[in-house]
Amino acid sequence: MTMKGFDHGNRGIGVRNHQLILPSVVCSTRVSSRIAKEMDAITFAHQHGCGFIGNDVGRITDYFAALANHPNVSSTLIVGLGCETLQGNELADKLLSKNKSTNYLVTQESGGVQGTVDSGVAAAKELRTKYPTPQVVLPRLHLGIDLSNESPVVTDLVAALADVGVDVTISSSHKNSGLNFSDLMEAGVHVILSFPDSNQPASGFPLIPTINVASNSPLHLALKDDFDLFASSSVAEIIEKIYAVVNGEQTKVEVIGAGEIIAAREVRSV
Amino acid sequence: MSNQLTAFERSDGRWGLRNHVLILPLHSAFSATARKIADDSSGAVAVSHDWSGEVDGDFDRIVKTISGFAANPNNFATIFITIGTPNELAIIELAKKIGLGKFEVLNVAELGSMSKIADIGLQMANSLLKEAKLSQRISAPWSAIKLGQECGGSDALSGITANPALGVASDRLVGLGSSSVLGETTEILGAEHLLAARAITPEIGARIVETVARYERSINYEGIDMRGAQPSRGNIEGGLTTLEEKSLGAAKKAGSAQFSGVFEYADQVINPGLYFMDTPGHDTEQLTGFAAAGINIVVFTTGRGTPTGSAIVPTIKVATNTTMASAIPDLIDLNAGTIADGIATLTDVGGELFDLILEVANGKLTKAEKGLHHEFSLSRMYNTVIR
Repeated sequence: MTMKGFDHGNRGIGVRNHQLILPSVVCSTRVSSRIAKEMDAITFAHQHGCGFIGNDVGRITDYFAALANHPNVSSTLIVGLGCETLQGNELADKLLSKNKSTNYLVTQESGGVQGTVDSGVAAAKELRTKYPTPQVVLPRLHLGIDLSNESPVVTDLVAALADVGVDVTISSSHKNSGLNFSDLMEAGVHVILSFPDSNQPASGFPLIPTINVASNSPLHLALKDDFDLFASSSVAEIIEKIYAVVNGEQTKVEVIGAGEIIAAREVRSV
Repeated sequence: MSNQLTAFERSDGRWGLRNHVLILPLHSAFSATARKIADDSSGAVAVSHDWSGEVDGDFDRIVKTISGFAANPNNFATIFITIGTPNELAIIELAKKIGLGKFEVLNVAELGSMSKIADIGLQMANSLLKEAKLSQRISAPWSAIKLGQECGGSDALSGITANPALGVASDRLVGLGSSSVLGETTEILGAEHLLAARAITPEIGARIVETVARYERSINYEGIDMRGAQPSRGNIEGGLTTLEEKSLGAAKKAGSAQFSGVFEYADQVINPGLYFMDTPGHDTEQLTGFAAAGINIVVFTTGRGTPTGSAIVPTIKVATNTTMASAIPDLIDLNAGTIADGIATLTDVGGELFDLILEVANGKLTKAEKGLHHEFSLSRMYNTVIR
């Protein structure tokens, strides 16, 4: 099976071609969403970047860096406010050492909200022009499995994926899919196959297409339209769906635009 | 300008200064659907959050925050999006107990999918918005105003211009019978003894001191010295030198009235008077906690400038200095930098701010409202790495 990919330089070859508008602090999430909407780029809301201390500063900086360095990302525009703890320019420097297709801007130095949206759109366009993304063949797929719920199909599935040369990372540390997604993102997986807890709905992660597999729980049966696959799906059907998604088919949560990040913290905010 | 306050009277007698239809996801996975309904509607608002039903040490705090937010009197109605778990239904029950009158429940497990929720939710939101337009503002007593005081991105002028100007406006409102609440426990560290001395009883004074000490203990417990992280680097760039200097300036927001009590995070603010609430300094965790407490208008002083706002509570930005106010005008509602420029007195700007609070209470939109800045953050106490 040939898999389509996008050459994202040092980030690797991705299965999506997403520009990331990364708010480095909660205060710039709205500005980021305005830029992303205009550019048809990816962004997300979060509550981090300021009023935090201790290990969390490094933890969240590393988390954002992992997002920006993800293979599904074509280029990254960091949007900061200016006075926050997590400084956008330091994050940008960290990213630039690996990927030149990175830029950052700061609301307090860009004339306010409208000024930042305008310069943000211009900067995002410039990144796209300067760093075009060649379409290539994806040589090797890295699949992440969120095993929030036990599934009898997984053992056979992992064996079958190994046979066809797919790398697999399984995260089952949490009952919370969102936290497993974050672990899988940091591992750099191209696509996530999620088996959510039987009492949890289908959910997704920004940048990474997420295929949701239902269990036979009453909740999942009631929500079957939100799932891509079912408890009855065979190994062959699951693999077929994975290849379709790699080659561009949107998952149910991608269609809805769902995808929140859940980033863990050690210490309460100050 | 008319000196009469007008507001929307809710069925339980509380007063709203806005008439929002709020789309509230009770699970993080429905955040995108909630945003879509709000974006497609003729003016509903929505928030996103990262709680997905986990029951840990923060559960009660999260339930209290989300239910209080749903029940804020600035909401004409709240539409909940829920899976229907007992924990999510507990949030709706608590919101009703706080006083939420009009609400709808979109149960995903009954309706079958997020796309159906989006369709039905949109119809529901538009029909509630139509209904909301029919309700009228009526004359309201000053006790209808529940003011929250906030500062963020403080600089060397905060304690001389914007914060004391807010103090003047707050004193006047408290004198008229409004409620006014100072928060940001981490930002009065070092000034708590001065606030305690203004408490109406020694017990309340002792509680102010203990609330600050308790916060510091909860951070020290993690092996971190909070005093090392304050003032923040943005504050230092703005000219602040020490935590005490920052705190003395932050405390100026509360004017000179006596403190009538101390609230825990997101406790309901019901009676008139000046209060202290235990909140983080983190701007959006504080703002969300204020909204959850039933606070219906906020004044937010800023030295460096910030766009932050709430989906349901109008947030008035007051600049501490003219340089910033001129450089980023679309964030700032009032410039108190004129005090430092020698153009206006503290009394002048305090009076201007009082007038602006009344205008905004009566319906004038703030810059943050016009820009649709709807940040929402859940305040947690515990480590979430190990959950």
